[in-house]
Amino acid sequence: MIPQAPILAIVVPLFSAFLMPMIGLLSKRYNIDRACDWFAVAAMVGTLIIVASMAPTVWGGQIIVYKFGNWSPPWGINLAIDALSIQMALMIAGLGTLVMVYSVAYMQRDSRRDLFYTLALLVITGMMGTILTGDIFNFYVFLEIMSVASYALIAFRRDSSGIEAGLKYLFIGSLGTSFVLLSIAMLYSFVGSLNIADLGAKLAIYRGAAQPVPTILVASLALFVTGIMIKVAMVPFHIWLPDAFTAAPTAVSALLAGPAAVVGIYWVARLPYLPFGLPVGIILVSLGLLSMIVGVLMALTQRDFKRMLAYHVISQKGYMVLGIGLGTLGSVLGAQGGLFHLLNHSIYKSMLFMCAGAVLYRTGSQKFEELGGLGKNMPLTALTFLIGSLAISGIPPLNGFVSKYTIYLGGIEAGLPIVTIIAVLVSALTFASFFKAFSSVFLGQRPKHLRDIQEAPKLMLFPMLAMAVVCIVIGLFPALGFNVVGPAQAAAENSAGYIGHVIGGI
Amino acid sequence: MSLNYVIAMLLITLGLYCLLFKRNLIKLIIGLSVMTDGIHLFLISMGYRTGGIAPIVTGESTSNLPNFASRAVDPLPQALVLTSIVINICITAMALSLSIYAYRHYGTLDPSKIRRLSE
Amino acid sequence: MTIIVRTTSRLLFPFIFLFGVYIVLHGHLTPGGGFPGGVIIAASVVMLILAYGIERAQQRVSILQAEMLDIIGSATIAVIGILGILLGAYFLQNVFPLGELGKLFSAGNLALLYIGVGLKVTASILLIFYAMLSD
Repeated sequence: MIPQAPILAIVVPLFSAFLMPMIGLLSKRYNIDRACDWFAVAAMVGTLIIVASMAPTVWGGQIIVYKFGNWSPPWGINLAIDALSIQMALMIAGLGTLVMVYSVAYMQRDSRRDLFYTLALLVITGMMGTILTGDIFNFYVFLEIMSVASYALIAFRRDSSGIEAGLKYLFIGSLGTSFVLLSIAMLYSFVGSLNIADLGAKLAIYRGAAQPVPTILVASLALFVTGIMIKVAMVPFHIWLPDAFTAAPTAVSALLAGPAAVVGIYWVARLPYLPFGLPVGIILVSLGLLSMIVGVLMALTQRDFKRMLAYHVISQKGYMVLGIGLGTLGSVLGAQGGLFHLLNHSIYKSMLFMCAGAVLYRTGSQKFEELGGLGKNMPLTALTFLIGSLAISGIPPLNGFVSKYTIYLGGIEAGLPIVTIIAVLVSALTFASFFKAFSSVFLGQRPKHLRDIQEAPKLMLFPMLAMAVVCIVIGLFPALGFNVVGPAQAAAENSAGYIGHVIGGI
Repeated sequence: MSLNYVIAMLLITLGLYCLLFKRNLIKLIIGLSVMTDGIHLFLISMGYRTGGIAPIVTGESTSNLPNFASRAVDPLPQALVLTSIVINICITAMALSLSIYAYRHYGTLDPSKIRRLSE
Repeated sequence: MTIIVRTTSRLLFPFIFLFGVYIVLHGHLTPGGGFPGGVIIAASVVMLILAYGIERAQQRVSILQAEMLDIIGSATIAVIGILGILLGAYFLQNVFPLGELGKLFSAGNLALLYIGVGLKVTASILLIFYAMLSD
């Protein structure tokens, strides 16, 4: 492990974001064209190396605890990294690198690219901070960093639809984070500490309904779950997501669809065990089912490419929340399926958004009626879109099938076969929707004004093909995925080990 | 001390009402700001101790630290509120900038008329 | 603006500026610190902008200079944090000498961090006003 690795994983993107305006000024004076882009990619590669160096230590069974300024918990802020955090951190770092390489090619027609990279690196910093921290107010600060940077990124091109989507996201997202702040205030007034491990230790007497739970704790849990669900865009709080992903530049949609779902699902996976120990399984299962059904039904009627993909994001996030909810009802396979589905979904959803972005970059339109027959012009884009569609519908031998099959088995194992039936139906409807999308964009008659469209630039093709290869590899060798997800799911349940390492071991 | 909590809850409710029912973008921003002020008031009044002194360690208070610690007001919620106020400044500045652009594009500040992205 | 507003703001500007600098520097002894002090310094400059108009303000302190001030402030915080890693053991750990309680040159790297924060907050609020008031 590189020394001081946990804090460097947050500090490297943050200080690169601070330095980016200066590099922008220098590159304009000395006329170097793409200095900002390659500096951002180098910062992300550095973060990936730092996170990967922490992985073997954590998978060996040890929880890494890092104290800020040598103040020991619970008086100081500390970072605590266990197997669940390391899975999320690896996904954010890896996908972030690929999205940065994609945006080098996608944003080259925009001016003020140094501001874009500053905001994108701040979003990555915020995500890393929420995953790695062990203090609940520190989590709130990093969540706000991530949210405010993404409000600005969505309205980046300052056209009318971007401003509208940014305003909508800003008001609904700020409401969500104020609920989280109120929940933290109530929790602090009741318990007296802000450290997650300390909260888990002090609230352990209410686990298992040994004593009646006081009302302020129930109110705090309700506000916290509501705030997180607004951020994860579960139905009925999903109103901001389709507009935001349609109006944003597609590189931003790829960044927010893949990694930003990670933050919400990480906290949904931690919630039933730490810091509250109260049962929330039924809420998660019902919200997950509702999101799955509403998401796919709304996606079937869309005529805009990116809007259809945005509704599918809601539907797939419903799968993940459903899996984790089944895990709290006693099914180990359900929780593993939920976490595995998060891993796969981030890969193929970013890839699908990148394909839509490549089509938009070359043709300038994103509605189904204006596109058609592009399979001859852009064969590699069509191939990656086909792999992504098969993966999201759960067709073997791709990775989507492995994670969805695990969730189906989890439903049967938890004693709720109705859940499995609904999940299979939603998969079939997803396949129908993507079949329609693929045939109307890449097959069929080609309009005359699209005759000379070229293939997407090489820098865009490289991340898409890399993600497609990963999809096929995880589909053929699912043991690779289960080596990552199994320890993560065990670490989420092992709250006593977490508390012992953070407080007892120091 | 319960008057503080009543006022805090009243501010949060008023802010939420403004955020839900008003038809002007500037009023929505003011409602959001009032709501977060209510949450800050709630946080600060949680750390209050009746008959307490300010938690500043000076030269003469180090001579009798246990007495000082038992009478001082809790400083941790005050640090949390400082951080939250700064975050609120950033969100208000961004919301106002987006409202300026919205007025330039749409010509109105009514959120129900800013609706070009169809369902 | 009228001649009364212009003269009064020109007379008041140094006192408000000095008060803001006082709050930033005494952050480890009295309530305040980087954030309120930076806002007060920026408010004094904004008072001059409101009295004299934005074109004259941009002649004195251009957008480029404000951005450079921003970068210097954040670089100060970055350097102090990394200094903790290089010299000591942990991030943001104190590596400067601790003085006596109650004096100005005490409390290690707290005062230096607050100076960095004050510079950055001043530059940021000034940039926000420039962006909102131009054209």
